[in-house]
Amino acid sequence: MAQRRPSYLRVFLTFARNSLVRDTMFRTNFLLQCISSAGWTLMNVGFYLIVFQHTPLIGPESGWGKYEFFVFLATTWLINSLVQTFFMTNADDYSELIRTGNLDFVLLKPIDTQFLVSFQKMDWSSLSTFTAGVILLVVALWQLTTRPVHPLSISPWMVGLYLFYLCCGVAIFYSLMISLASTSIWLGRNQTLYDFWFYITNFARYPMEIYNRGWGVPLWGFFTFVVPVLVVVNVPARLLAQPLHPQRSLSWQLACFALLATIVSLLASRWVFQRALLSYRSASS
Amino acid sequence: MATIEIEKLSKSYWVYQKQEGLRASLRGLFRREYREVRAVREVDLTVEQGEFVAFLGPNGAGKTTTLKLLSGVISPSSGTARVMGHVPWQRENAYRRRFALVMGQKNQLWWDLPAQESFRLHQQIYRVDGQRFQQTLDELTRLLGVTNLLHQPVRELSLGERMKMELIAALLHSPDVLFLDEPTIGLDVVAQHAIQQFLKYYQQKRRITILLTSHYMKDVSALCKRVVIIADGRLHYDGSLSGIVDRFSGHKVVTLHLAEGQAFEQLARFGTLLEIEPPKAKLRVARRQVPSVMAALLSAYTVDDVAVEDPPLEDVIAEVFSRVDDVAVDHDVRQAVFP
Repeated sequence: MAQRRPSYLRVFLTFARNSLVRDTMFRTNFLLQCISSAGWTLMNVGFYLIVFQHTPLIGPESGWGKYEFFVFLATTWLINSLVQTFFMTNADDYSELIRTGNLDFVLLKPIDTQFLVSFQKMDWSSLSTFTAGVILLVVALWQLTTRPVHPLSISPWMVGLYLFYLCCGVAIFYSLMISLASTSIWLGRNQTLYDFWFYITNFARYPMEIYNRGWGVPLWGFFTFVVPVLVVVNVPARLLAQPLHPQRSLSWQLACFALLATIVSLLASRWVFQRALLSYRSASS
Repeated sequence: MATIEIEKLSKSYWVYQKQEGLRASLRGLFRREYREVRAVREVDLTVEQGEFVAFLGPNGAGKTTTLKLLSGVISPSSGTARVMGHVPWQRENAYRRRFALVMGQKNQLWWDLPAQESFRLHQQIYRVDGQRFQQTLDELTRLLGVTNLLHQPVRELSLGERMKMELIAALLHSPDVLFLDEPTIGLDVVAQHAIQQFLKYYQQKRRITILLTSHYMKDVSALCKRVVIIADGRLHYDGSLSGIVDRFSGHKVVTLHLAEGQAFEQLARFGTLLEIEPPKAKLRVARRQVPSVMAALLSAYTVDDVAVEDPPLEDVIAEVFSRVDDVAVDHDVRQAVFP
């Protein structure tokens, strides 16, 4: 007779191990994915180096100079790579599990179904982007803290808060993805996941200041308060590159809102996931 | 208390009726026709602990849907069911730890990894104690003869070997109830036999309750004393395998070996002539008329040998299924149009 509830950590570690074993079985594919990710990050940095040859700041008085922006870029990579490593494959597989009826086996297991669906597989090759993000972040922060004029000072408190909001960003993206994937139960098929990921990461990958004029304002409102992807990168990146200041109350409000958005996103995605499961009708055997 | 109690269990769903052609496809973007499929209709069933029950029925009869309802994979439209005191579709972990479902046409093991890795994952999910896990795994792999295949990727196993691994995965947590949906489908005779023998041994040893769906009568006759016939979503028979012939077949097959020089032409007046291979002939005779027909035959012919048998079980069941299919055609079909 089997024992009590499973250890979620052990199950998670077994998933991680199995995924690594699988990835290394196809080692050339694994290496190519790592190389292609690393190549993309290099091209990305190269592109922004060219941009900053033409201008010292992104927008007048925005505070986003070259190295501040590289902190922002590194934060984008860190969040995206974590989402891709842990959730992207699973969210995509979830739609397929629903369509083929293989979700049946997931529903049989004595463990939280959302946990099982969300963490079954890991794309370890995406961690090469994470490594590139860490390197870029360290280089950019080194430049900012050692510059002769207005050097940046970073406290352990800021680093802790940065890591916390990094997790919040991952959680918001995850919530959006799992909610979208869950709709496959009602729609029968939903292949828009990768498109959706491309669209939202496109909006989230630039500082908020870009949206403060003309048509940008409604976009800012929509992607901050309705689909809160703008806070995903902006809040943690600001914490390091443009530290929150007691006098800049808007920044603090943004940080508080990001926390609220994370909680609401997670709760909403849980609700959507469970509601959708009630409508699951499997597929023919 | 019975292990499985089902009362008036029904499951219906709507399926999109796709019309042929481009115009119909475009129209379908705005307006769609759906047909209601009543997969399971008011099924009542009770299964006691330790029973091995077979579900027989043609394709689309509702067998798999019933198993899915009992596994909690889907929820019913109406009716109730309790398995070991649990309502399956509430998906309580306490219930999910106590049963397993094996589907012959689906695969739950990691495709690219050796089965051993999936088994370790099952150990973690079901939280099976390490020593017990190893004991169970050793026993199951030995019984099924797959010990040397544990480290081979699942995608490189044959269909029979894969099914054995699926069975092991399902039994590692020692379930009290096992649902088997066509576990021998597509397997060769040797693999079928091996799985039958294993299931027979395992069920007798552990006294677990098993519900089996299969199209192979050899599976059913080798394993199950009790048979349930389900067709068109309804339960048509619940009893012993031999009882199916008594209940549904109104005739017997009389095989005659006639002495040399006998004429076969007149045999047709004693019953339906099934085949003639001199000196042998086979007749189908109504069950009630067997004594009188036998007396008449023995007085009219010189017979070297005679046998009176029930028709083959497969033939009887095929006849039952075709009778049900005929009734089911255009039988209270509901249609609807939704945007």
